[in-house]
Amino acid sequence: MTQPDTIPLLGLGWNDLLFLAFAAVMVVAALAVVLQRDIIRAGGAMIIAFAALAGLYVIAGSPVVAGAQVLVYIGAISVLVLFAIMLTQTKAAPRALVFQTQAVPAAIATAILALLIVASVLTTDWPKQVATQVADARSVATTLFGQFTLPFEVVSVLLLAAVVGGVFLAKRERDRGEAD
Amino acid sequence: MNRSASPASLIGRVVIPLLLIALVVGPVAVVFLATVIGPWVVGVVNSNLGILRFVLAIAGVLLFSIPAAFIIIYMELKVIAYMNLRVGPNRVLPAGAAHSVVAGLKVLTKEDFTPNGADRIVFTWSPVLVFLTAVMTFMVVPFGPGLVGAPLNIGLLYLFAVGGMSVVGLLLAGWSSFNKYSLLGGLRSAAQVVSYEIPLTLSVVGLILLAGTLSIDSIGRQQAGWVWDWFVFRQPLGALIFFIAGVAEANRTPFDLTEADSEIVAGFATEYSGMRFGFLFFAEYVNVFIMSALIVTMFFGAWNAPVDVNWLLRLVGVGPLSINLDPGQLGSSLMAAAAVVPLLATLILAAPVYLLRRHRPAWQALLAGFLLLNLLVLGVIGLAAYMDWDWVAGLVWFMLKSFVFVFVFVWMRATFPRVRIDQLMGFAWKWLLPAALLNLFVTAFAIVLIKSAGIN
Repeated sequence: MTQPDTIPLLGLGWNDLLFLAFAAVMVVAALAVVLQRDIIRAGGAMIIAFAALAGLYVIAGSPVVAGAQVLVYIGAISVLVLFAIMLTQTKAAPRALVFQTQAVPAAIATAILALLIVASVLTTDWPKQVATQVADARSVATTLFGQFTLPFEVVSVLLLAAVVGGVFLAKRERDRGEAD
Repeated sequence: MNRSASPASLIGRVVIPLLLIALVVGPVAVVFLATVIGPWVVGVVNSNLGILRFVLAIAGVLLFSIPAAFIIIYMELKVIAYMNLRVGPNRVLPAGAAHSVVAGLKVLTKEDFTPNGADRIVFTWSPVLVFLTAVMTFMVVPFGPGLVGAPLNIGLLYLFAVGGMSVVGLLLAGWSSFNKYSLLGGLRSAAQVVSYEIPLTLSVVGLILLAGTLSIDSIGRQQAGWVWDWFVFRQPLGALIFFIAGVAEANRTPFDLTEADSEIVAGFATEYSGMRFGFLFFAEYVNVFIMSALIVTMFFGAWNAPVDVNWLLRLVGVGPLSINLDPGQLGSSLMAAAAVVPLLATLILAAPVYLLRRHRPAWQALLAGFLLLNLLVLGVIGLAAYMDWDWVAGLVWFMLKSFVFVFVFVWMRATFPRVRIDQLMGFAWKWLLPAALLNLFVTAFAIVLIKSAGIN
């Protein structure tokens, strides 16, 4: 996973270069998600941002998290988002966002998020964090099912409830549609 | 007018100074290369071996994927033709062996057409994404012991992650074409691939429990020995589910609804032409090979031979064979042998050909003898390589087994009718998923049982 040696003629380490590349791709793609008018292209840019984030996870020494990121966010969630967009959106629909009426709440949420990020950056002891070990599948599993069993189970119950709720909503709507 | 006035022609006047310059510059350049650039290059290469190996592996995988796709396309044409009592391709080379290559060249020369109303950027890049994911999966497929592009210790996770990405490409290809058949194909592929990915992944979890690792290389190593050491005999249900779900993941008959030509023209590929269609087409056959390779790697012994060769040799009393011939010991007799043996062997091999067919001219017999000698030498070299390097033996077995499964894929295409979309989804969620879960629970229960029995 790690290429510790420096690149010829540049003096940077491979990890530094890859980090810069992934970070740049991710920032550009994230901006594209927000600024694109075409919603499908915004979805595509979101997939690129997810992929770049997976690359950053690999550089940070946790390939398991990177694999899960690609598997869940690109393979499942992005596909579902694209699927939903394609079913609801047509070429004839207006390309600009129509329901953009939440500027004030969005600004407040952004400010709070920025404050949180700044606070966490300032309070983190960075030199200690840099020396984290590479997390392989076994250590992730032992941590998840040893130390954090209860949160894990709570999250799975929550997900199950969400699935049941989603199925219930979808079912009821279709029944009513057939009855009408 | 007078050509002999100047003794040196134009060429001479250019070549002689150039020769002189080369005589002066050459040695200087050689010394410079040897003392300054050479060590620098060696140093850089040595300190960047990891990244160099990675780049070489990607290049190798890319170079391998195209001929593999060509061979599978040809195989499909020919095998289905014979199963239909037809002849199949028979024009280019004997038995039409280069037919698919010529078809590939034809695709390259065709017009690259973008329909009106299509989203140009997405339309252009989605075939690239489809092909990229297919080739990226190759990186963790072990072709032999140590013959793997990137020996990840989370190989299986990587495999499913990258494999799940291909659906994005199909979906976007279908949507961006601005064609209702394309869109239908894209939506079908999304529904199908996402549904079948769950049993595909779950069917391997039992295997992961048994092997105790996510590394594909290590799973291959654990199946060394005899046929019954293969994981298919410890995970028969898992292997069956993996095979069925793999067929659906590769969009092959009987689950090829994404490009069902009798229903939606060609699905997501309808509007594609030229090399963009070529990418989609190649990706499909690369996926067929990858699925076969994965089934072989995980359930059918990876690169291991079905028999323990060393055990058999010991049974006969030969012991592990190895050729310890030091060419340096032979000295000058080696030179003599190298000069005489090929000539003699050609003559000896040519003799029976000449005697059998005396009406042919002698040079034809000599040529036949020479070709026979080459075949013989190639065979001996291949045998020595098989005996001495385990990666050669591994590659041979791996390819043989993989192409058996490619044949099964082709056979299924010639045999099965296509399923309906509701049958497809119902089968995935009502049969494959419970079966995969059952397989997982039974495997986990058996492992716990055996462990507790072993401790007592």
